[in-house]
Amino acid sequence: MDKPDPTHHTKNREKKESLSREERQKQLEFQHEAVVHLNTLYNYALHLTMNPSDAEDLVQETYLKAYRFFNSFERGTNCKAWLFKILKNNYINRFRKNSKEPGKVDYDLIKDFYHSIKDTRTDTSETDTDYFHSLLHEEVYQALHSLPEEFREVIQLCDIEGFTYEEIANMVESPIGTVRSRLYRGRKLLREQLEGYAKKYGFNTDNI
Amino acid sequence: MNCKKAGVFISASVDGELSLIEEQEFLLHLSECKECSLEFEEAKRTKMIIREKIIKFKAPQALISSIMQLTSFSTKEHEDTLLYE
Repeated sequence: MDKPDPTHHTKNREKKESLSREERQKQLEFQHEAVVHLNTLYNYALHLTMNPSDAEDLVQETYLKAYRFFNSFERGTNCKAWLFKILKNNYINRFRKNSKEPGKVDYDLIKDFYHSIKDTRTDTSETDTDYFHSLLHEEVYQALHSLPEEFREVIQLCDIEGFTYEEIANMVESPIGTVRSRLYRGRKLLREQLEGYAKKYGFNTDNI
Repeated sequence: MNCKKAGVFISASVDGELSLIEEQEFLLHLSECKECSLEFEEAKRTKMIIREKIIKFKAPQALISSIMQLTSFSTKEHEDTLLYE
């Protein structure tokens, strides 16, 4: 092998270092802006797919894509909303467009998880008459999942993830007015479901 | 404002998504309508229930590691290059 030209070598290294510095800056910013939302993104993916391995794949893909297109992220806007939109698009491409079915829905896993959480019904002494406090995590979860997807989605984005209507409208690609009315109708349906549970426990919901 | 219109406003008001004018219009209706006032209180509670009762799942460690690796890959490569040199 030829002895490497020392000048060329140095130049090459300088080039590498400056490239890396740029890359490094991008990484730091990416970690600060995007990676901090990993848990919430995974949680959303899991609720969408209801399957842990599909959820992991979705999140992986989302971050890969987000990193690649990080330059197109508008600085100063909500990065979490940007990531959610990428994730949602990935989800549609993966499971809808190619009419591929998501992996087997792991209801058992979710059920187990909710069962492992302490039954809050036992420690609500002061709110005995309040049927809402008697609801179990699992029941609220089931009620939410019994809703048509267009309603569940906006409730999740609004109540759980705390996005504004404008951000949600952008994510679901519908006007704000649509988001508003979907939330209204979705919540109405959800209330009916929850009241169904309350009746099951013998709470009187006539006055509600 | 009638009760039908107030329904949508109840939902949006809970989220703090009414414009100033809408909010005033809405509050005026609430002051006149007991039914919608109760409905409003109920809507606030429903939102709270969802926030409190829906569990947030945390990302598994393996996923965290792989995402961290994704964003530090080049740095590591850079370090390796330096080491090699």
